[in-house]
Amino acid sequence: MVHLEHVTLHAGATTLVHDVSLEVAAGSWCTIIGPNGAGKTSLVAALAGLRTLTRGTVRVDGQRLDQIRERERARLVAYVPQHPEIPVGMSVQEYVSLGRVAIHGVLRAPSRRDRDAVSDVVERLELGGFRDRDGASLSGGERQRMVLARALAQSTKVVVLDEPITGLDVRHQMEMLEMLKKEVAECGLTVVATLHDLTLAGLFTDRLVLLDRGEVRRDGTAHDVIRSEELAESYGTRLRVVTVDGSDVVVPVRAREDRP
Amino acid sequence: MTSPPSARRVLLVAAAIVAALVVAVACGLVVGPTPIGAGRIAGDALSRLGLGHSTLTSLQSTIVWQLRAPRMVLGLLAGAMLAVAGATYQGVFRNPLADPYLLGVAAGAGLGATLAIVNVADVSSVPAWTPLLAFAGALVAVALTWFVGGRSLRSTPATLVLAGVAVSALFTSAQTFLQQQSSTQSIARVYIWLLGSLATASWHSVIIVVPYVVLCCAVCVAAARALDIMSVGDDEARSLGLSVRAVRLLVVGASSLGTAAVVSVVGLIGFVGIIVPHIVRLLVGTSYRRILPLSVIFGAAFLVLCDTVARTVMAPSELPLGVVTAMVGAPVFVLILSVRRMRTP
Repeated sequence: MVHLEHVTLHAGATTLVHDVSLEVAAGSWCTIIGPNGAGKTSLVAALAGLRTLTRGTVRVDGQRLDQIRERERARLVAYVPQHPEIPVGMSVQEYVSLGRVAIHGVLRAPSRRDRDAVSDVVERLELGGFRDRDGASLSGGERQRMVLARALAQSTKVVVLDEPITGLDVRHQMEMLEMLKKEVAECGLTVVATLHDLTLAGLFTDRLVLLDRGEVRRDGTAHDVIRSEELAESYGTRLRVVTVDGSDVVVPVRAREDRP
Repeated sequence: MTSPPSARRVLLVAAAIVAALVVAVACGLVVGPTPIGAGRIAGDALSRLGLGHSTLTSLQSTIVWQLRAPRMVLGLLAGAMLAVAGATYQGVFRNPLADPYLLGVAAGAGLGATLAIVNVADVSSVPAWTPLLAFAGALVAVALTWFVGGRSLRSTPATLVLAGVAVSALFTSAQTFLQQQSSTQSIARVYIWLLGSLATASWHSVIIVVPYVVLCCAVCVAAARALDIMSVGDDEARSLGLSVRAVRLLVVGASSLGTAAVVSVVGLIGFVGIIVPHIVRLLVGTSYRRILPLSVIFGAAFLVLCDTVARTVMAPSELPLGVVTAMVGAPVFVLILSVRRMRTP
């Protein structure tokens, strides 16, 4: 479904992403992990077709993203940025409706089908009670759900998310990831996300890709990547993996000499 | 925190704005040193359509239809264009302080007009080609701004605004130099032109401005949904399927062209482009699908009402229109702002 071939991305003289090739199967969830500055955000933005590549190609559903128009691209892949901008004074309903623009077109009003699709996703993500509220007045968890709702309203086969659970408490983090997981399982959605929480990444996703200094260090099942030597190496800290109820839990460990 | 307004509230505000337009049109035709009743003017208008008989003398008819009407219509056009251009700029640059003169239209038009005025020996009147040179100057300035700040792929709205500041400074300095080199009478002429006025309005100037205003307002209003989408930022707007660069080029082009056309005929009327969209926004919320069409109507009404004040309070002499727009607009704006503050906890 998603094909990256030799993707290289520069900002001026700095290399952000170097020669990354990746293939994500339809209906699966692939999570990109890695330390700060590894190039995760740049990679997912490229994957959503929002960056001009120095080299390489990104294909979604067989189509090269740099060769199609914005509107066609928005019907293939939806994007949730790390820090979404929430316009003050826009209702939740209006905000989620923005996801339908690529379908009804910017000069047309939403059709009945568009409105139904928005209502459907608003209900699915339990935003029904906030419909007419100002999006900027919502709590962190509600806000993230609203942004996810906008992305799902685009009705694309692929959704790309950059740190979708940043700033949420543990309950809301779990809720958010469960909602996504449900979309993958029930609607066949293909998800590519970046996550900082390694335990949650392992818990929810089929596959992990470890990115470090713009390059793929390790790519495999969650179990495989989390227990790899490269993981601790990339993060430059000591990590321990323990098993709780059959799941891998990643715990940072302080060196003995650092302890008081 | 502003909450999205109810449909009923939007409808009420829209009705009030349309009523203001009707009052403005009536004032534009009825108010003046020669008292002519509204009923008689209406009767005359109907008689021209073949209904009933006019009771106006030919002099009164000339005053109404050759002096007041074109001035009123030009005011409607200029007010609508400046207000919608200001609202559009505020949306496209996501900057509440943006006004239609942001990208150099004013400085360019000022330089063009000054060139026309100082280069004639006869200082008793503004030369006929002043609008043409002002229009050309405005377009050259905006094109230069776009060339400097908007061409590169990586340029952001901020680059364009900064380029506008630089180009404005350049053109203004050239204009100041020219003005300083010319005679005292020319300086006065230039100064009066810069303040803006509807006093020289004629059907001829209306006909010149109409196509620009209609086309450019239509483009801006049609782009309302796109501006709403752009309120989430460039990257996200693109991810939603919007060609952000194309929209920006189109609406900045339309706003600048329309503003240039208006400014070249009526001079630099300040404050309309910033105050009208903000008043509308305070009343109906942040969606450009409401702000833009209502700004067109309210801008038109606002400028004609201000012009009525400008030409009556110190009759027979006239106040500069820009002074009135600021004097009327600022208190209205502050009033609405404080009422909203009191209502929201």
